[in-house]
Amino acid sequence: MQETTPHGLEPLEELDLSTLPVRPRTVSTSLRLNIRGRSVRLRGLRQPPTGLLGWLLILGPGLIATSAGNDAGGIATYSQAGAQYGYDLIWVMLMITLSLAIIQEMCARLGAATGRGLLDLIRERFGLGWALFAVIIILIANGGLVVSEFVGIGAAMELLGFDKFFVIPLSAVVLWYLVIFGSYGWVEKIFILMTLVFFAYPVAAIMGHPHWNQVAHGAFVPTIHKDNDYIFMLVGLMGTTITPYMQLFQQSSLVEKGVARRHYGPERIDAYVGSIFSNLMSIFMIIATAATLHVAGKTQIDTAADAAKALEPVVGHAAKSLFAVGLLGASLLAGAVLPLATSYAISEAFGVPKGVNLDFRRARIFFGLFSALIVIGAGLAMIPGLPVIQLLVGIQVLNGVLIPVILVFILLLINDERLMGNLKNTRTYNFLGWGTCAVITLAVLAMLGGQLLQHFGVIGSK
Amino acid sequence: MLSRILRFELVDAQQQRAKLRDLGTAVLDSEYPAITCLLFRNQDNQDTALAWEHVRSFDLRAGRITVDDLQQGQPVLADAQQGIVWLCRDILDALVIDLQNRRATRANDLWLEQEDGQLCLKGADTSARAILRRLSRGRFGLVRKSGIYDWKYIEFLRGDPHARQSGTGEHLRIQRLPVGEIARLTDPLPYLHAAELLTLLPDKIAADTLEIMSPERQLQVFEELDEAQALRLLELMAPDIAADLVGRLEPDTARRYLNHLSRKQSERIVELLRYPETTVGGIMTNDVVSIAADMTVAQARRVLCDRLKEPDFVHFIYVVADETSRKLRGVVSLREIFIAEETRKVEDLMNPYVVSLQPLGAAREAAYQVITSGLAALPVIGSEARLIGAVTVDAAVALAAPATWGSQAPRIFS
Repeated sequence: MQETTPHGLEPLEELDLSTLPVRPRTVSTSLRLNIRGRSVRLRGLRQPPTGLLGWLLILGPGLIATSAGNDAGGIATYSQAGAQYGYDLIWVMLMITLSLAIIQEMCARLGAATGRGLLDLIRERFGLGWALFAVIIILIANGGLVVSEFVGIGAAMELLGFDKFFVIPLSAVVLWYLVIFGSYGWVEKIFILMTLVFFAYPVAAIMGHPHWNQVAHGAFVPTIHKDNDYIFMLVGLMGTTITPYMQLFQQSSLVEKGVARRHYGPERIDAYVGSIFSNLMSIFMIIATAATLHVAGKTQIDTAADAAKALEPVVGHAAKSLFAVGLLGASLLAGAVLPLATSYAISEAFGVPKGVNLDFRRARIFFGLFSALIVIGAGLAMIPGLPVIQLLVGIQVLNGVLIPVILVFILLLINDERLMGNLKNTRTYNFLGWGTCAVITLAVLAMLGGQLLQHFGVIGSK
Repeated sequence: MLSRILRFELVDAQQQRAKLRDLGTAVLDSEYPAITCLLFRNQDNQDTALAWEHVRSFDLRAGRITVDDLQQGQPVLADAQQGIVWLCRDILDALVIDLQNRRATRANDLWLEQEDGQLCLKGADTSARAILRRLSRGRFGLVRKSGIYDWKYIEFLRGDPHARQSGTGEHLRIQRLPVGEIARLTDPLPYLHAAELLTLLPDKIAADTLEIMSPERQLQVFEELDEAQALRLLELMAPDIAADLVGRLEPDTARRYLNHLSRKQSERIVELLRYPETTVGGIMTNDVVSIAADMTVAQARRVLCDRLKEPDFVHFIYVVADETSRKLRGVVSLREIFIAEETRKVEDLMNPYVVSLQPLGAAREAAYQVITSGLAALPVIGSEARLIGAVTVDAAVALAAPATWGSQAPRIFS
């Protein structure tokens, strides 16, 4: 080969590999987080920024994702937790954050090591029967969440003065159309903007003048109430924070990003940071409702209007409509992503064509599932006279009941040497993982036992 | 159907009974692999394999397989039997590529037929009926021939690039497809499956397939290959794509590969790596064919015969003043050389009005320029009109539009 002299570059004299120019592995080196099923990029967090503006620019997308990540069920559960038990459940949230980080990290690792989704792996390792079982679990859990999103849409619109029997079918049709015909991208940004309203929560938490020493007490000294409602709430908190859906999503997003097993590493930090981010807003929500509603003696939230009162210290009378806007945005966001991700994962397990870019005839099962989830979700949400908040919390509790099942699958898969190779779980991870699984199972059993005993009148409700 | 056979019972001459657990086959090199052993659990609850020679009769109606003696079975150690593919463990429920429909799907059930005293794997059922059949233990979901695809046209992958090595004489129908189609088929597969497929394909096809994959996929798949094969593929790839790939590897790995490549290829790659990715130099190929202007057509043909053996891009032949200065004089197409009279000079034949690109110009603009020029490539020249490479229309399109269908599809999870 001839030596060449391009403009501005020295001719290549010797083949010197020591100063080899290296191109970036990926297009951007930004930190990619997964916060409650929303994937965000924090540009350049790996180089610490300077100044407040720098930090804001960098952490902005992550913070926005935390505000967008709380769906209708989450808002209801955290509000109810704060109203009913004040600061007493904050320590649980801290524990859950640790568990969530561990579990999310394991899912990320599974995704990177195998390049496949969770249901896909279950199908291949445990066979058709177990796969079907997992699919049913996921369908119940996510189907419940879809219902809760539509309930959220209805409740928000009622606060704004619209009739929910008109709004829910309309939003179902609009969401379906937007996702299938691919113009969802920019609409999503509007939904996210709407959820920015929830930044009023941290402000409300501070302006509500909580007793910070009580908050600290609630955060670090475990307080356990010995009644059924408390355990019910506990399972609800676990269910809404560690949703089975999030594990599914986390793993699939790693697969979609194309992370290779040899380069798994930075994703570990992403999973941790994402989990912490994801729970920040929830904790503020609990503090804000505790400082307003609980202190005022209102311990039972029945309607969305009650929940909105937590924002009153900040925005006064506008609290109701602002809360409604945020709730609407969050519910619409999750209402689109949830059915999509669910039908994608299930199609993967059965090996049928999937993806919104295909036409109807080629991906009948995928589109059928997606449409069915939206139709059934919207349909159930329209049953007249539903107790909104109780239903939302109930669905989160259902999710809590189903987590251990999915967790067992994850833990079994991640300890499979043939699958994971050197990315197999270490002893610490196993300890924490199985520990989380055991604690959640115990809580679920305690809840179910308590409900049964109460049902047969063995013990009173309080 | 495999789902039915798995409910069969093994009975030996002493009337000992055991439940069949799996069927194993050792040979994958025939179109319809024959079953070579049966897996069952012996009295000590140990997995035991019994060779097919011991099978006396195979009674489909009664659901019974009569064998000589169950005691003759060999215990199966966890992962000792590398050579054996177990139908239930490895193939059933696994991802397979269905070449007739050109899609990746799942083997929901397997179709076996008796042939000359052998039981052969004949097809895979990918339909939803097969799922129903398995769940209902055969009560529903009758077998329909139309839902079963001939095993000849099924490629089965294990998702482990090191499970099998190439040259094992396996029937790979997939290699008859155009490489673009192979790359498209691997798109929905997990990357380990894609890497495994590349190890099984002949190197030339594997290299071309790798070239077509999206950059992220290339990197994932490439790092799963073992080093010897990775080197062979790098050697065969077009230098511009190879440079992009090498540039994204870990610096140490990249250095090691470059040291082991042939000097020509590694010089080309290093040369290209020096240009930033966003410049013309970052997307050009420097593997172009050039001839001296003062040659006659007959001489040129002789020289070209040798030169044309390797490079990928041969539509245009660039005419340079001489091979040392490489000053670009004009361009001539392969067709013109071919049809011209032997005595004419290349100079008289060539088109001297060449639009050329600067190596440090913006890549994107150059890409549009190449696409709108309607030519297969535009040459890139350095100072004193020295020919250093060309931007091909492929590279231009790859930059202007996403490389594969997969990367155009809307993302759901990220």
